[in-house]
Amino acid sequence: MRVLAIHPEKCTGCLRCELACSYVQTGEFQPAKSVIRVSPFEGHTSYAPYTCTQCAEGWCMTACPVGAITINAAGAKDVLDDRCVGCKLCTIACPYGTMFYDPGTRKAFKCNLCGGAPACAEACPTAAITYEETWTGDWLGDFAHERTARILEIR
Amino acid sequence: MTPVTANAPKPSKTKKAPEPAVALPGGYAGKLLRVDLTTRKCWAEPWGSRMRELLGGAGLGAMLLYRETAKRGGKGNVAWDDPDNRLVLATGPLAGLPVWGTGGLTVCTIGAGTNGPTSTQANGFFGTNLKYSGWDAIVVQGQARDWVYLYINDDTVELRDAKFLVGKDTWETQDALCRVTGLAGHQLSVYSIGPAGEHLVRFAAIQGDYGHVASKNGTGAVMGKKRLKAVAIVRGTKALRAVDPRGVLQAADDIAHDLRTDPSARSLYEYGTLPGVGNLSKLGVLPIRNYTTNLTANVPGADMADWEAPRLRANFDHRGHQCNACGMHHCHMSVIQKGAHKGRIVDEPEYEGWSGCGWQIGAVDRDGIAWLATECDRACVDVNEFGWITGWVMECMEKGYITRAQLGFDLTWGDIPGAGRLLRMISRREGFGAVLAEGVKRAAEQLGSPAKDCAVYIVKGATPRGHDHRGRWDEMLDTCTSSTATMETGNPVHPTEVGQPARINIFDGVQVAKNVAGLAGRRSFEDSLGICIFTTRTRLENVCRALGAATGWTFTVDEAIRFGRRTAAINRATALRCGHAGALEYPSVRYGSTPVDGPAKGQAVRDQWETMLDTWYAEVGYDRKTGKPWPKTLKALGLDWLARDLWGKKA
Ligand code: SF4
Ligand code: SF4
Ligand code: SF4
Repeated sequence: MRVLAIHPEKCTGCLRCELACSYVQTGEFQPAKSVIRVSPFEGHTSYAPYTCTQCAEGWCMTACPVGAITINAAGAKDVLDDRCVGCKLCTIACPYGTMFYDPGTRKAFKCNLCGGAPACAEACPTAAITYEETWTGDWLGDFAHERTARILEIR
Repeated sequence: MTPVTANAPKPSKTKKAPEPAVALPGGYAGKLLRVDLTTRKCWAEPWGSRMRELLGGAGLGAMLLYRETAKRGGKGNVAWDDPDNRLVLATGPLAGLPVWGTGGLTVCTIGAGTNGPTSTQANGFFGTNLKYSGWDAIVVQGQARDWVYLYINDDTVELRDAKFLVGKDTWETQDALCRVTGLAGHQLSVYSIGPAGEHLVRFAAIQGDYGHVASKNGTGAVMGKKRLKAVAIVRGTKALRAVDPRGVLQAADDIAHDLRTDPSARSLYEYGTLPGVGNLSKLGVLPIRNYTTNLTANVPGADMADWEAPRLRANFDHRGHQCNACGMHHCHMSVIQKGAHKGRIVDEPEYEGWSGCGWQIGAVDRDGIAWLATECDRACVDVNEFGWITGWVMECMEKGYITRAQLGFDLTWGDIPGAGRLLRMISRREGFGAVLAEGVKRAAEQLGSPAKDCAVYIVKGATPRGHDHRGRWDEMLDTCTSSTATMETGNPVHPTEVGQPARINIFDGVQVAKNVAGLAGRRSFEDSLGICIFTTRTRLENVCRALGAATGWTFTVDEAIRFGRRTAAINRATALRCGHAGALEYPSVRYGSTPVDGPAKGQAVRDQWETMLDTWYAEVGYDRKTGKPWPKTLKALGLDWLARDLWGKKA
């Protein structure tokens, strides 16, 4: 499948991806409702974006008691709004913290790969997010390794 | 200390008509945050009906200063250190939207350098966080009894005890506030002052988000006088609406395309201001050893190949550190790789840092300069004026005009540790540092000639940006005639779009003056939008299109230029009230001298200065004798009320 690949060394922390995501997902510019989040590392000196990896296990989907999470055409786990009862179980089940809850709508929400045209990848000016065919959705291992190496170097 | 929280509009005690209910244009949060430090009150002020007239940033700030800093019941203006002085921290309608570089902060206040109006910009995430919290600008008045910081988290606005922050530099302040709030990175935008602001250094700046500086005219001293240590804004949760979001994105794409491909913007896109050193040295515009030479070869150890942008950047372990929504490769965080400061994290210096902490003081050690420039930001000292004052002290020591006994140690050209020691003395007003903390002009006047004649400044009390303007007369004229203590017109960007020639003879005073006057307006407009002036280096038409799509107005290039000129005229009125008459619009002896070598050798700006002033005044439609904009100029700008204020009822 195609997944969002993150290249943290390219990220400048401009937060364009958050803006684009919130616009496509809500129709307004509201990074608080974005489902991609850019986190700082090494104090404030580097940044990397982070969103649902569409993990193979699909913990959120398994946890949902009413079957409100399905897999959409793009291969993304997607929340069906009219079925979600807002119990938040999925937010607890997701080990990556990429399942969100909107107190306004009382529904869970997450990355749905924008139905196959990810706005974040399109908006990123440095290609720190790319939409790629890969052998695994799990890019976190390399990511963590790279970060740790950098921290050790600086200290 | 009990925090003060206020999110409801203050019940009005005055008879002023209430703000009429109007439909809010897109792009705006809709409210000004008023903060009175004396009474410890914060309140919201809707301003919907004035948005098209004032836009935000520089335009809003100019009007607030004109309306609110007149001396009560008398003539003249309040001084920079008066509690009635206003500190306007404003953003604009594009801030927070996906056009590149939209985290903009414009600081407007009566500044400590000239004791007159200021408009000075920084970027980062100030504007973004403020807008998403529901505010377009913060207007601070009064003076706190004890040190406080302003905390904003959506509708929660609190003045909090800042005792634990006193003495900390600006980076330490931001670190500490991140710890206190449990937030990191851009989740919290912090603009603060360091020791220089606390000690009321006349060229103290306001620094924020690790490396962004509103540097001109002592805004940091104003903050210090008010005992406001910092403003900390949590990344808000509110939504921003654009009337035509697709239109905003399309305009943003067109602007980005221009920045990437246009020859005049492209190097900025790739390397920010780093190419400035090499390029400007070839024009005689790089200041070297306090204007005593324009030959890079006169600085021992200088190898210009080291100063080519890619090599300059590659000298450090570097990472992009952009402002909101920005795709430029401009701001960077760097780690020093070798030497005394190995392992230190620094903000990659801008051209201004390389010149002020480098060439101007005879230094070319890139690692040392990067360290010193960052120390300036951390102490909240304007890197330009620091360069002018340090280079001046170095020259004066060499010539014996300042002695070791006076300064306490020997300071020679290129001595970076020595310059660092001087920085600490200035920012804490220790020893001779107390004299220097008054800024170049006042220090030079205190010492008198011949030391005074070596100092680079504008008689008004300001100092130039980091150039040798003896090879760039447009900027010298702009800086001297400006009402905001720094350039008011700015450099030409697509000049033909506003009817100006693509090229002029840069050493023909009349052509230069006509050009400066003819380009007026654009800069003040850009500075009112909450966007960076580097990311508006496109045709003005594109910027207007972005503004139109955000707000829903049809905003033309003509309206933009008229808006900017209106802002300049209002600032001029405030400056006149502050006593800034024409006699102050002159370069100091050294600033206006004739280069002895280099590409601009022999070009004597002073010979043409009077003609340049005459031409500029006639072209902008201001009266040379009184400094006032003519009534017909004001009326053409729709400022009939200001014409009456300045010229009396008959106007
Ligand atoms: S939200 Fe979490 S659990 Fe669900 S698919 Fe994404 S990463 Fe897996
Ligand atoms: S793919 Fe779409 S929903 Fe997922 S993080 Fe990117 S922009 Fe947001
Ligand atoms: S848009 Fe790209 S560079 Fe900017 S914060 Fe997101 S991932 Fe990083």
